[in-house]
Amino acid sequence: MTRFLNALRDGVGFDILLVGAALLFLLALAGAPLVYNVLMSFQQVDMFTLGVLFRPFVGFDNYVAVVQQPEFWMVTRNTLVFVFGSMTGQFVLGFALALFFAQDFPGASTIRGLFLVSWVMPGLVVGAIWSWILAGDFGVLNVILKSLGIIQNNVFWKSDPNFSIWAVIIANIWLGLAFNMLLLSVGLAAIPRDLYEAAELDGANAFQRFWTITLPMMRSTIGAVLSLGLIGTLQQFDLFPALTEGGPANTSNVAGFWSWQLSFQLYDFAKGATVSVMMFLLVLFASVIYVRSTRHEVRG
Amino acid sequence: MTAQIELIDIDKHYGNFHALKNVSLTIDKGSFVALVGPSGCGKSTLLRSIAGLETITSGRMTIAGKEMTGVPPRHRDIAMVFQSYALYPHMTVEENLTYSLRLHGVSKADARKKAAEVAATTGLSELLSRYPRQLSGGQRQRVAMGRAIIRNPKAFLFDEPLSNLDAALRVQMRKEIRALHDRLGATSVYVTHDQIEAMTMADWVVVMRAGIIEQQGRPLDLYDKPVNRFVAGFIGSPAMNFLPGRIADSGNSVVLDGGGSLPLARNVEPGRTVIAGVRPEHLQVRGDDANFHLEVGVVESTGSATYLTSRDGNFQLVQSERTQLASGDRVGLGIDPTRVHLFDPETGIAL
Amino acid sequence: MTRTYTPWFLLVVALALAAVYLFPLYWMYVTSLKTGSEIFANPPTFWPREPNPDIYPETWARRTMPVFLLNSVIIAGGITAITVILGTGCAYVLARYRNVWIDIGLFCVLMLQVLPASVMVTPLFVGFNQIGLLNYPRTAVVLAAAAKAMPFFVVLVRATFMSVPRELEEAALVDGNSRVGAFFSIVLPLARNGILVCAILTFMSAFGEYIYSKSIIQSPSLQPASVGLSGFLGPNSTDWSSIMAYSAIYVTPILLVFVILQRRIVSGLTSGALK
Ligand SMILES: Nc1ncnc2c1ncn2[C@@H]1O[C@H](COP(=O)(O)OP(=O)(O)OP(=O)(O)O)[C@@H](O)[C@H]1O
Ligand SMILES: [Mg+2]
Repeated sequence: MTRFLNALRDGVGFDILLVGAALLFLLALAGAPLVYNVLMSFQQVDMFTLGVLFRPFVGFDNYVAVVQQPEFWMVTRNTLVFVFGSMTGQFVLGFALALFFAQDFPGASTIRGLFLVSWVMPGLVVGAIWSWILAGDFGVLNVILKSLGIIQNNVFWKSDPNFSIWAVIIANIWLGLAFNMLLLSVGLAAIPRDLYEAAELDGANAFQRFWTITLPMMRSTIGAVLSLGLIGTLQQFDLFPALTEGGPANTSNVAGFWSWQLSFQLYDFAKGATVSVMMFLLVLFASVIYVRSTRHEVRG
Repeated sequence: MTAQIELIDIDKHYGNFHALKNVSLTIDKGSFVALVGPSGCGKSTLLRSIAGLETITSGRMTIAGKEMTGVPPRHRDIAMVFQSYALYPHMTVEENLTYSLRLHGVSKADARKKAAEVAATTGLSELLSRYPRQLSGGQRQRVAMGRAIIRNPKAFLFDEPLSNLDAALRVQMRKEIRALHDRLGATSVYVTHDQIEAMTMADWVVVMRAGIIEQQGRPLDLYDKPVNRFVAGFIGSPAMNFLPGRIADSGNSVVLDGGGSLPLARNVEPGRTVIAGVRPEHLQVRGDDANFHLEVGVVESTGSATYLTSRDGNFQLVQSERTQLASGDRVGLGIDPTRVHLFDPETGIAL
Repeated sequence: MTRTYTPWFLLVVALALAAVYLFPLYWMYVTSLKTGSEIFANPPTFWPREPNPDIYPETWARRTMPVFLLNSVIIAGGITAITVILGTGCAYVLARYRNVWIDIGLFCVLMLQVLPASVMVTPLFVGFNQIGLLNYPRTAVVLAAAAKAMPFFVVLVRATFMSVPRELEEAALVDGNSRVGAFFSIVLPLARNGILVCAILTFMSAFGEYIYSKSIIQSPSLQPASVGLSGFLGPNSTDWSSIMAYSAIYVTPILLVFVILQRRIVSGLTSGALK
């Protein structure tokens, strides 16, 4: 007993205690549910079997049923559009802003920091604000676009099937833009100034400097930012209930929200679990990229 | 003299890497022991094993007669001065000094009194209420020293404590540390990669390489009687010159492969191939009775001494007088036979 | 334009960019202050003609915001407490050592950071239902959301611990402290600021937690403010002034904390998320 206490006070027991408590917690509340999810996706889950662990196994029936749902392909397509649209917007705008704020002028870092407010705001509130801005009849975005002559008639962002997914993408770009910019700024700041000076002496113009110095030097940062963006986009949920609820007619529905709808609005937990397993596979793919790009972080 | 620290057959592995190989060392009470060796040879590992910061893989260790296996650092009663000083940034100088006393339950008043005494001996009296970031490098070094001496521990461990100071301060602190050691009657183990520091400060020098102790002894003994080519090359600055050759038939001189010969003060088995070692400071420029000749490459003078490097770059000599020699000159060199070292070409062991 | 004016020109552009970017926030406040007819005016007014702050107390009372906000504070506090208590120790160990086990642990944590809440909510709900935790819905949400928040916290705080020199802790050990004592008297005080910033970040994002609360908490008296907001928000909502007033009341505290701690939050994030 005293040996045990001594190990806690002076030896690795202390480390094991600290890391063990956290890992057990995570195992119970993240690892176990993940396994359970896979289990449920092969079971028949209904109101009668909800409370028991051993339910009838149905093999791949749930998967077949999910794929045969009429909205399946629509949701898949939307998920991809949402992911690529959001990531492209966040990354391109974020990079442009990062380059701009890398210039030397008074207040640069403070103003850049202000951009990050979007990141700390509750997703639902962001969704609410954008829902109002994007409103069809009285939304301010339509007014601005019309006065600029870009559109002639009001765009019904949230209720037009052609635009509904883009309404969520616009809000999501706004939400994730600042974080992208911040991380890219860190990467930019880490490039030694004298490299640019040397290139300038060698006669490279601003564009060539960007291609031959900035981009290659930012490779690992860009990898990390893109994979974090992918992960963040796949995690986005709150904007959907606030903006479109996946509608109209699933034209703005994505895997995460669909899975939730199946479970919590249709109480079809088996299908909900099945969709989330499919989504998990997508996330797994994203995280492999993420871990690869941050491996230098892991190694230190 | 009694042993204060005793290491018996210490082994240390980091995973597959064998950092300390069968190290045995006895450190007498009151002695000042220096551990020297090239970077990565395991000096810090050995020191940290004594402190209990690393667990040794096998072997035994006693401090003041007490078995130390499995004893955590706080029960070993040793003090350590780190290369980075490791001053607690969120504590004032006084709090840094008294931290260990407070941990050992010394009353606040006593601790303050003790801190004032230590501050007086280390010249920190004016700085007690400052934070480490408000101190110069030399002052930080003193706080680190003060934090060690305030406790009167069984041994002091130093890990390259002077390497962050400039050259002048380093020479001064060298003397101060040694003086402090003598005044306190302490036992000190001092890690350095600077062999001058080791030679000037220590009573006993331990030369390490790749996890093993190559040789240990009094500083001048290491200089005069290195047991192998590695120690011979490591101790002394500039480093010893090594010349391949063969013992003459007479047995009392070495015929050098590069031409010329060196006299020996004893008889060695004739015909044997050897490496002869001669220290740069033991060579004299001679005329007719030169032992061998050399073409001068670079001449550098510091004012007090002149350093000559041969044209091929692998031979050095030191002259205490000014010389007229210039690059390209051919110079004849001679040496006192008692100053010539011989090593086995294969094993490097001294003959 | 001469060289000396360039920085000021850039400053003006930067302010303009910030204004465009932060326009949605401005629009939230402005809309909340508009009267019913002005909201639907065409063209819209960019400054309310007759600012009407009465909407705030009205929304506050009609939407039972005190109850919702109190629940948000309780839930976010619980999430933050669990995350900080368990996550700090874990981050410390992951920062202190360098070996295969640590790499594996770190890999697990990074993996968990990646899991979307929408993937986890179904099995968590069914699991909680089976063990009866749904009878304590706020506790259930706290547990679920803490597991979601912890990986990110661990990654950020680990970076903070890595910046505390290992030798300081070793000096404390040699000076006579135990591992536990050195952790609390040396390592923690030095990492305090970083941990605090990360705790605040955790609290802020937990304060906006939605999906778990929406799925798990049925009783309106236990729901947090995000669920309260979703109650009158949807594709066809029209009561914009009270939605915006509700939103403004909800986010203003977060925005204030953010603006005050902006520098620290930004540096804490950059050191942890990318290195
Ligand atoms: N934690 C560790 N894990 C693996 N290998 C280590 C570790 N610490 C030290 N080593 C290895 O052990 C060997 C000895 O290291 P040590 O720090 O004792 O060298 P040193 O003699 O103090 O060198 P220096 O003069 O550069 O300080 C080195 O090769 C080092 O790479
Ligand atoms: Mg070392």
